[in-house]
Amino acid sequence: MASKTLVGIAALVVVIILIAGVFLYMGRGATVVWASTQLNPAQEQAFVKEELLPPFTQETGIEVQFVAISYSDLATRLEAEMQAGKVTIDLIGDLHGGLDLFASKGWLEDLSKFGALEGRTFLPSLEKFSNIHGIKAYIPWMTATYVMVVNKKAFDYLPEGLTKDDVIKGTDKWTYDALLAWAKKLYEETGSPKLGFPAGPKGLFVRFLHGYLYPAFTGAQVKNFNSPEAVQMWEYLRELWKYVHPSSTTWDAMADPLLREEVWIAWDHTARIKDAIVQKPDQFVVVPVPKGPKGRAFILVVAGLAIPKNAPNADAAWKLIDYLTRPEVQVKVLEKVGFFPTVKEATGAIPSGPLKIMSEGVATQLGAPDALVAMIPSLGPKGGDFKQIYLTAFEQIVLNNQDPAAVLPDLAQQLMNLFKEVGAPLPPPDA
Amino acid sequence: MRVERDKLLPYILVAPSIAYMAFFIGYPLLEGVRLAFVDEKGRFTLANIEYMLYSVHSKFWDALKFTTLLAGVVIPIEVAIAIALAMLLTYKFKGRDLAVYVVVLPLVISDVAAGLIWYSMLTGGGFLNKLLLNLGVISEPVIFFGREYLWREFVAVVLAEVWRSTAIVFVILFAGLQMISGELIEAAEVFGASPMQKLRHIILPLLKPSLQAALIIRTLFAFQVFGSVWILAGRDIPVLAGEAYYEQVELHHTGVAALYALVIACISLFLGFIYIKSFRAKYLEVGV
Amino acid sequence: MALLSPEVREAVTGILRAAAVALAVSWTALPIILAITYALADPNDYYNMEKVIPTRLTLEHIRSLIALGAGRAIVNSVIVALLTVAFSFALGLPAGYALARFVFPGRDTVKLLLVGMRMFPIIVIGVPLTVLYLKIGLNDTLLGVALAHTSMALPFVVLITSSIFAGIPKDLEEAGLIFGLTRAGVLLHITMPMALPGLAAAAMFAFLLSWNEVFVASVLTFNNRTLPAFVLVQVAAATELIKFAAVIIMVAPALVFVFAARKYLVTMWGITLR
Repeated sequence: MASKTLVGIAALVVVIILIAGVFLYMGRGATVVWASTQLNPAQEQAFVKEELLPPFTQETGIEVQFVAISYSDLATRLEAEMQAGKVTIDLIGDLHGGLDLFASKGWLEDLSKFGALEGRTFLPSLEKFSNIHGIKAYIPWMTATYVMVVNKKAFDYLPEGLTKDDVIKGTDKWTYDALLAWAKKLYEETGSPKLGFPAGPKGLFVRFLHGYLYPAFTGAQVKNFNSPEAVQMWEYLRELWKYVHPSSTTWDAMADPLLREEVWIAWDHTARIKDAIVQKPDQFVVVPVPKGPKGRAFILVVAGLAIPKNAPNADAAWKLIDYLTRPEVQVKVLEKVGFFPTVKEATGAIPSGPLKIMSEGVATQLGAPDALVAMIPSLGPKGGDFKQIYLTAFEQIVLNNQDPAAVLPDLAQQLMNLFKEVGAPLPPPDA
Repeated sequence: MRVERDKLLPYILVAPSIAYMAFFIGYPLLEGVRLAFVDEKGRFTLANIEYMLYSVHSKFWDALKFTTLLAGVVIPIEVAIAIALAMLLTYKFKGRDLAVYVVVLPLVISDVAAGLIWYSMLTGGGFLNKLLLNLGVISEPVIFFGREYLWREFVAVVLAEVWRSTAIVFVILFAGLQMISGELIEAAEVFGASPMQKLRHIILPLLKPSLQAALIIRTLFAFQVFGSVWILAGRDIPVLAGEAYYEQVELHHTGVAALYALVIACISLFLGFIYIKSFRAKYLEVGV
Repeated sequence: MALLSPEVREAVTGILRAAAVALAVSWTALPIILAITYALADPNDYYNMEKVIPTRLTLEHIRSLIALGAGRAIVNSVIVALLTVAFSFALGLPAGYALARFVFPGRDTVKLLLVGMRMFPIIVIGVPLTVLYLKIGLNDTLLGVALAHTSMALPFVVLITSSIFAGIPKDLEEAGLIFGLTRAGVLLHITMPMALPGLAAAAMFAFLLSWNEVFVASVLTFNNRTLPAFVLVQVAAATELIKFAAVIIMVAPALVFVFAARKYLVTMWGITLR
């Protein structure tokens, strides 16, 4: 009886899956198939299907099938389609790292043949990254980054030689040393640490280590992991950490500590501070990160749109690219899912409010003359090991007070082996 | 014929359950050993165990230490509270049943939810800090979380765990206490025994089997602690199950995660063995 | 104390006892009530350090939680828990009945085996199952999670149901047989109706075991998260108010259960946990 029930349930499940499959298959006509590793969470997919795409279909009569797909599934599927010579994907939405790899394998169309997109200017740094392996591999679609948020109260405690303007505009005086002096002064004059980082188990602090501090002090994320400059950087961080809120090691996102005013200065991903600014827009400013000896280093997450070679509906896909990079569409994406525009015109078109505050800070950081752009390496399943190496270094040196010169050599070796093992190129700005 | 069938029937009824359990315990154990000691190319390897024991990234020894420490601190507190509660609630009074329901409530609340509940109590803007601030007891919020305040964080975890799992110990003791005849206790009262005497000479000896069972079961659960610790302390306070989760989900070190699982399995099997051994005779006598 | 008259002593003991009960009840109930209140707090009240108990309430955070994708996670959790109940009852009910009604060689061994299996930590099976599930295509499926949860719930179901069947007087069944009912007829018309409330309580218990389980669910799923796994992974970086909102949804079924099964609470757990 038990096994019968099991078989019955299994059969039912199979039938449901079959029916669902048939429906999905019949739903596919001669439409643009857009496979994207971005905007995959349920509510973001709903936005794409219900708000983003319908106006496009209305305007052009082109139907779009949005396929949310994981990076590894996309790579597998694309490889299979390329080998079989039967391509079904018309448009790819993915991060720079993945598109870099696809372009290196010769799977992507050179987009320069479609001509220029009218009425928009892409940020120059993004243009540079999308021209790789001798082709225009993708059109920059959306960006995300990590910034600093300052509670306006903190400006009353600025250290000597640093002005509010320096911080907001990101001048040469807004350096990591100035941040240290500021944090120290805040600590001494308010009686408690007022600088915070999301160093909890789900926090993104590790990005600050490899994509902000390392390049700012050593000029590279990976290459100079064990170097005199790196030792200096760790000693700096150890000093800074005296004025960092001790709860930092449990914070996963900085919106709450900012709103509770446990900290007045915080660094985090834009999506994770958004709530604070939405809640109290008059209280906070978003500012670019400080600069180090080697430049103002920050991580830029770039998502791009690419067309695979031999895509069945390449022209229709290009029309979709045109639509998705229009300033007003980019603003809509920012408003609904929080990714920042890639075209200058969009930044000006954002209505005032919390988003304006954020996008101004982001734009200042992106457009900084001393910008040193870092990208997250694509190491697939080894990405966890990559992060762990930086986290272990942080724990040993800063939290457990060990000598950086003793900790770094071993970890540097592991880091190099990691890239060798995966066969991945070193990420910018190393390469 | 009929007799034959009747003889076989109970086995037929019991077999699917036993087979299912045998598969879901046997297969993971064998596969776990394979994952832990065999590399991708099918060769025997000690790399995983070396990583777990010696790598700078691994927190095995800390995890073992904290898991044991947590059990050592939490369980005595829980047993003490549970005995007191069980005695308190054996007396019949108005609203007693309601009190029992409330007290056992945490038993059906998940560890993740329990962690979040205590987070809302203890965080910087949580109930406790707000209350004490407004009563003027403190002038700055008490920080319960963060590596620098490891022992306060430990206290937070202890609070959450005691809150969450005292109910398990209580239910076992309470059920046990109800099996002790009230006459014995009354007799003791007639002879003028003090409450402490009653506890020491009558109740505790009679409660011993239940206490034993509660202790072993609670210890078993203690080595699986995960959700509440993960929510409250992350990896600041590493525990065995938390490290298994981290190695598997964040680092994709399946072999190491399997090894952690095996460590937990060994501890559990050992405790389970003691449990069954000490429990066997009584369990069968009572006959459910 | 010795100077007081017996009446006064009794009164004092009574008051102390009442105070102790009140303390125990509030120690358990207050954190839940407070967490739920905070989950409904208006952000202005929550981030205002002078406001200990929020007075303005809102459902906004629950809505935000749903917008993050919790709606699907809830549906997933319900499906997994229902499948777990179905599987563990399909397998466990006959075994429970057999243990209660038949005397057969090996019965004690089977019982002890189940008691022992109940101790086996579900954490251990998570990691190896990911490998098996990848091979047979069950990874990241609700069916896969439910099968794993069944292995956790099954021993409990067998032990609980056997105690429920054992509690039904055998005389009634025999009377049914005498009045010409078949064995199946007795089961259907006499045993089952009497066992039903207890079985329902047992089903709810199995439901909750699955509903609350987080380790295996997080390890085995990636896109199809159950609620606890979703909370552990996705909600970690959300604001605190959204985290607290998750408490409400996670705790609700437990509250319903304790209320509905209150009659069976102590006996059922007393038997199965021992």
